[in-house]
Amino acid sequence: MIIRRREFLAAGAAMAAAGLAGCAGMPGGASKARVVVVGGGYAGATAAKYVRLFDPSIEVVLVEPNEAFVSCPISNLVLGGFRTIGDITTPYTGLQANHGVRVVRDAATAIDAERREVRLARGEVLRYDRVIVAPGIEFIPGALPALDTAQGQEQVLHAWKAGAQTVALRRRLEEMRDGGVYVLAIPEAPYRCPPGPYERACQVAAYFKAAKPRAKVLVLDANANITSKGPLFRKAWESLYAGIVEYRPQSKAVDVDLRAGTVKLELDDVKGDVLNVIPPMKAGRIADPYITANRRWCEVDWLTFESKVAPGVHVLGDATQSAPVMPKSGHMANAHGKACAAAVVAMLNGQAPNPSPTLTNTCYSFVSRTQVVHVASVHKYDAAARTFKTVPGAGGVSGAASEMEAGHAHNWARNIWADTLT
Amino acid sequence: MPGFARLTATFATLAAGGALAADPPPAPAFAASNLSPAGVRSMAANCAACHGTNGRAAPGSTLSGLAGKPRDELLLALTQFKQGQRPATLMHQLAKGYTDEELAALADHFARQGRDR
Repeated sequence: MIIRRREFLAAGAAMAAAGLAGCAGMPGGASKARVVVVGGGYAGATAAKYVRLFDPSIEVVLVEPNEAFVSCPISNLVLGGFRTIGDITTPYTGLQANHGVRVVRDAATAIDAERREVRLARGEVLRYDRVIVAPGIEFIPGALPALDTAQGQEQVLHAWKAGAQTVALRRRLEEMRDGGVYVLAIPEAPYRCPPGPYERACQVAAYFKAAKPRAKVLVLDANANITSKGPLFRKAWESLYAGIVEYRPQSKAVDVDLRAGTVKLELDDVKGDVLNVIPPMKAGRIADPYITANRRWCEVDWLTFESKVAPGVHVLGDATQSAPVMPKSGHMANAHGKACAAAVVAMLNGQAPNPSPTLTNTCYSFVSRTQVVHVASVHKYDAAARTFKTVPGAGGVSGAASEMEAGHAHNWARNIWADTLT
Repeated sequence: MPGFARLTATFATLAAGGALAADPPPAPAFAASNLSPAGVRSMAANCAACHGTNGRAAPGSTLSGLAGKPRDELLLALTQFKQGQRPATLMHQLAKGYTDEELAALADHFARQGRDR
């Protein structure tokens, strides 16, 4: 009964919004179709905005439990002490005010792909014509057993979803004694933001160099080598942080000994004063029914981002089974959001989706407060292989770290936050 | 005849498989450019991540916007980036990902955008 009343009120609000938008020709003033977006990160928020940009006659509802968007890119600078959490936070209000997206602050608990309904934690049920699922990542339960406990999660931070964990980790770094050891454990690829952990090592090292010169950064990498911008990060560690950063490849964290304060590797244990363990990850929980690859990621039709197993359900961003050499990055998620928005708008208008989409990626990494490196790529659709591939000869990395690229990186942040949210 | 064709195809696959072991993978076969208005709009949306929605840079950005700039100025810059004739940090790497026709369509698109939000 409550649900019906809320639905009725929602429909009334939609009709009023459509009327205000001057959307004539719709029976009873209702919108042409409704798209529900689950998750307001780089992928979901961008998709919500761009569906409205491409076709204002489509109603868009964005479901997001957090009050504001906190950017993972640039969040390592909060750990370095060069930015505040406020600097990397953007409210969701612009999506509503500027683009007419209805932002519902709640968590989606289930999607019924047959009835085309999204159920929310507080009881509301949202009917949709197409649903865009952009849940980001969650950590795989059981991968490091101690981290399944409340005590483990309190004691060992990941800070791999920017926000409260970022602030808490910065506080622990500030409280750590000079001469202490900060341990950063990196999971096997694929994980969110390939260069992110190595940038984090640089940022924490920059803080130690200035404030705790006897402290150390110990990087335990499950991978055989640095997974992104390797020579550039090695150069930074050798030239800027010699004696501070120690890098150990092929060192996979399998558990944490909470009492001893050690990260357990396959062969030995490593003790630290601040433990920052990034567990292996999978698609966010709401996307579980659409996971088809390695029990972790969701395969999609890359022309539409529609799930391979659920018609009408589109999956974006980090949750997808990535195309070859496609990074799980904020920039790529933003690109997914636009390509999916265009496809959804075409389909809701009875048209074929773009047969040759292009995606780009740019990831900047701050190796110090003022020095930045990038990796860039262009991805086009190969119809025979039915996937995106990088364009041969295009893309690449910086020749060397530079202050000029730090300026570009800050501009990138301003513009992509505005492109995603305002 | 269909049987023979299948057999030939099988041999061709085997030969290709053998060649793959030694040679780099075959070049991607990208779909033909979509230069329809909707196709160009989607391609141009990629530029917005750094240059602002519809090519209008966000407040506080010192990176120049693209909206409303003369078409020839935009196309010259993009072409020179692609050919490595203009200093760049990454635009030379991105411009190489587009055909000349796509760059011309992007220049047209941004030249037509209004400068104001």
